[in-house]
Amino acid sequence: MKFTYSWLKEHLETEHQFNEVVDKLTAIGLEVESVQDTGLAYRDFIVGQVLEEEKHPNADKLKLCKVDIGREKVDVVCGAPNVTKGMKVVYAPVGSVIPVNQMKIKAAKIRGVESYGMMCSEYELGISNEHDGIISLEQDKEVGSSFADSSGMNDILIEIGITPNRQDCLGVLGVARDLAAAGVGKLKNREFKTEKGSFESPIKIEIQDNDICPAFAGSYIKNVKNVASPDWLQKKLKSIGLRPISALVDITNYVMFDQNRPLHVYDADKVKGKIIVRSAQDGESFKALDEKTYDLKKGMCTITDEEKVLGLGGIMGGESTGCNFDTINVLLESALFDNVNTARTGRDLSILSDARYRFERGIDPRSTLEGIHYATQLILEICGGECSEIVLAGQISETLNTIHISGKNIVKRLGLEITDDEIILILNSLGFGAKKSGEGIHCTIPSWRQDIHGEADISEEIIRIKGYENIPTSNIRAISKVNKDILNSTQKIISKAKHFIASEGYNEFITFSFSDSKKSIFFGEVEKLKIINPISEDLDILRPSLIPNLLASIKKNTARGIDSLSIFEAGSQYSSTTPEDQINSICGVKYGLSNSKTWRSEKKEFDIFDVKNDLLNVVNYLVPGNKKISISDEAPSWYHPGRSGKIILNKKIEIGYFGELHPRIANKFKIKTRVNLFELIIDNVPLTEKKTTNKPQLILSDFQSVTRDFAFILDKDIKSSDLIKAALNVDTKIIKSAEIFDLFEDKSLGEDKKSMAIKVVLQSEEKTLDENDINSLSSKIVEAIEKSTSGTVRS
Amino acid sequence: MVDFAKLGQEIKYSLSKVTDLESLSECRIKYLGKKGKISLLMKELANLSGEDRKKQAEILNTLKNQTLSLIEDKTEELNDKNLNEKLSSETLDVTLPVSSSLGSIHPITQVIEEVVTIFGDLDFYVAEGPEVETDYNNFTALNTSEHHPARQMHDTFYVETQTDNMQNVLRTHTSPVQIRSMLEHKPPIRLIAPGKTFRCDNDQTHSPMFHQVEGLVIDQESNMSHLKGCLEIFLKTFFETDKVKMRFRPSHFPFTEPSAEVDIGYTKKGNQLVIGEGDDWLEILGCGMVHPKVLQNVNIDPSSFQGYAFGMGIERLAMLKYGISDLRTFFECDLRWNKHYGFSPLNFPSLIRDLS
Repeated sequence: MKFTYSWLKEHLETEHQFNEVVDKLTAIGLEVESVQDTGLAYRDFIVGQVLEEEKHPNADKLKLCKVDIGREKVDVVCGAPNVTKGMKVVYAPVGSVIPVNQMKIKAAKIRGVESYGMMCSEYELGISNEHDGIISLEQDKEVGSSFADSSGMNDILIEIGITPNRQDCLGVLGVARDLAAAGVGKLKNREFKTEKGSFESPIKIEIQDNDICPAFAGSYIKNVKNVASPDWLQKKLKSIGLRPISALVDITNYVMFDQNRPLHVYDADKVKGKIIVRSAQDGESFKALDEKTYDLKKGMCTITDEEKVLGLGGIMGGESTGCNFDTINVLLESALFDNVNTARTGRDLSILSDARYRFERGIDPRSTLEGIHYATQLILEICGGECSEIVLAGQISETLNTIHISGKNIVKRLGLEITDDEIILILNSLGFGAKKSGEGIHCTIPSWRQDIHGEADISEEIIRIKGYENIPTSNIRAISKVNKDILNSTQKIISKAKHFIASEGYNEFITFSFSDSKKSIFFGEVEKLKIINPISEDLDILRPSLIPNLLASIKKNTARGIDSLSIFEAGSQYSSTTPEDQINSICGVKYGLSNSKTWRSEKKEFDIFDVKNDLLNVVNYLVPGNKKISISDEAPSWYHPGRSGKIILNKKIEIGYFGELHPRIANKFKIKTRVNLFELIIDNVPLTEKKTTNKPQLILSDFQSVTRDFAFILDKDIKSSDLIKAALNVDTKIIKSAEIFDLFEDKSLGEDKKSMAIKVVLQSEEKTLDENDINSLSSKIVEAIEKSTSGTVRS
Repeated sequence: MVDFAKLGQEIKYSLSKVTDLESLSECRIKYLGKKGKISLLMKELANLSGEDRKKQAEILNTLKNQTLSLIEDKTEELNDKNLNEKLSSETLDVTLPVSSSLGSIHPITQVIEEVVTIFGDLDFYVAEGPEVETDYNNFTALNTSEHHPARQMHDTFYVETQTDNMQNVLRTHTSPVQIRSMLEHKPPIRLIAPGKTFRCDNDQTHSPMFHQVEGLVIDQESNMSHLKGCLEIFLKTFFETDKVKMRFRPSHFPFTEPSAEVDIGYTKKGNQLVIGEGDDWLEILGCGMVHPKVLQNVNIDPSSFQGYAFGMGIERLAMLKYGISDLRTFFECDLRWNKHYGFSPLNFPSLIRDLS
């Protein structure tokens, strides 16, 4: 909310420095967002008086003026049509800067005549759009005085952020009240006359639904003359960035920003019959003051006459009964509207208005009558006319809410020692009626504090005024320990996996949890993942997989000249948009060059065995100890069908996939080279329920080990794992390992044949193997492999 | 009679002319080999007798030993010479480049791990909740009814599924984890909940996805002074300086009462923010005492239990601590950014070693 310091001081009598007041605002929860010295721009401008005025010798439309600026008399060439002798003007001396265009005034020859300085229009000063002539100041302004001082432009604009609970501070009066309570001054009592009213309002008011509008007060004022608002009122509205319209409208706005009391003024002659406040009917529509037509729904609070909808209660008035300069008779409205209903209507129709903002936060019910009296008075003063008795439909509750609180509980909540007497003092300064009652304190809640409901709210009031800086600092380590584990098993797995994968050369990316449905169709059921109000068309679903966003990043990086990309993301993917269907996963991508051509190596591209290696390593790291890992070639559909696999743990757990991205998908992402990736399904990593710190027993043989190599000619589709399995099964005790060390394909071997060589390590735990043992095992190995693969050993 | 002195000089001269190991070997054979000059003279000793034999044997032995020693010296000299030649021919250009194969950890992960480390030490466990939340958990249970003005500030993303006839949402803050955790555990509770949050907002200073960490303490005694103590330890440890200045300001969150925003003192030196110096204030987190209605909503009796909650933005912490100036770059996936701002995978934040 914006207000000027001078406006604040109309309500607050204070001897405190400006800075103290500003600091206090923030300290009591009215956070100062900006402070702007509005006089600064006008600092150099002086009140001058035109002494002489004659035609420019060389230009028809220009005039030569002699202007008295107090300290001297200067010559100014002026093009304004309205300049006349004796006129008091705003003079911009040489060196000053024109606010609207930041132009610096220089002494210059204009059509051959010297001109010193300039006389300004409202437009040039940034006050309004008026640029047809220069400003004509009131004659009582003193020549040579500062323009900013003499015209009240020398002010400070303060903008504060009001949290949703502090509806009471949406008027300058409320801000002053809070400051006074916090000890930076005294709230001024602003007295105004209350006109009794000399006749009965010809417009009656009927509320049909008291839930949506508990009270509606009207004041009929006849024979008004709607004029441009007086200077003081225009200046006030302009000072907070509002555009003055006409006295009637400006007065309602002023009362709203001053007293936090929204009002509305109807052209009474355009109202047919009585005012009826009721719920809208489906199908009704209404043209509001913003010139838009709104379709109304049942439940919305409408102000109507006997023919039409006049306004949306608490939100916006209508065009049909708006006031203009021809308006003669008016009806002034001051009402109470239900906050929830106002919020709902405003949201459904997407109308933002100052009235809605206030009503949905809650309005002081007592301001209904105070506001109508005050505004009526202002209308009579400015526009003349005669007012009716106030007509009130509905009821304004007279009783104030009360609560009983305990000082002990306040102390317990705040951790601050404070006596009941001080609590009572603070509450009373805020307008609460607080007094001791038995063991506790009895509080009457002021009508303007719609946010106070319980003891917790009172504790905030106390500490707000007492000062948050007075809360002591207590040691929390003194409180006994409550948690056994800080991270659960899954959290530990994710953290370990991230670091391990990064140590394998991958850089961690974090991409949006959203994704593009068009590019995600390969990875899941996108129609189950829709976001109703996406931020953009290409982020319209929750991602079914981590893959599409990582793929999108490949393109971006290669465009920047990066030819080797190892990236991973650990995060959630979704199988539907219910809270339960979130899956933890990690995806790693290796793309482009594994080695660039360097002075000591040739360039090499990543292949699926790079990612297979990385995935296996991380699985071994995350699942230590005895386990059985097998690899099959059945990976999900987004992998290349012939270049992908899955890792199965202990014969049943699918723990991850690896392989090359399906070329069709790569194509969709406009990626031209092969993409290798792996996925680790975190939720499938087995959690070790009871972690043992013991490692399995280590048996080391002291006898010599022997290595034997065998090569076989095999059908092309025979898998290396078949060879290894066959070899190992020959003697699980003596055969320590079997590894493929050569792979060779050539037509000379025969159609669809290949050669594969295996290295077997033999070692007994009981003796040194002799030639017979070795030969016997070797032939068994050959036999076993030949049998299981239908291959033949190469000699 | 052999002139031993002359022979000695001959040997010396021959050896001095030797320049490689091969001719040294020839030289050794010439004098000490089976048929070498000295060896032959040794054999001839057998023909002598008495004093002569003894005398000559002595001289010959001395000559032999001298020769052996000379050969040994020469061998060493030649070996040295050979090694020096080899060394000078083996010089490599050590300025030729090598490459590192380590990847990097994202600053968000790093900061979350730092936060977890600090709060873990203060006995907070790490709680989690789903990113798609029910309207109830995200708002209503947190004392933010359907038409509460605070809801409009949240710019909520909605999804097509519903729970209890209300549209599910992408959680707008990590606070619903409070609700889930309190329904699951009885007090005392002490937790933090880092995670992703979403708001329908995308500009220079807003990202539709960002990260928060929530903190919650519920027991019979924790009050605002504990909240202050807790955050003070955190901020000082996190920013790795005891100079951190903190300012509590009243604020409003529907789920805490009283509520506060916390600012930290900073100054700007060149392009860098220096935390702990200067008189400017920067908002860093929101907090407060858990609202009694929130406790009621999770069946905890607010007359017996109370406590505090806080929430802060991970990106903001990362930006302040590590001098990252643009929020949006966190998720832009520019490898150059990740390599620059990322962290070594071998770096696990620790209070014993280094936090960062």
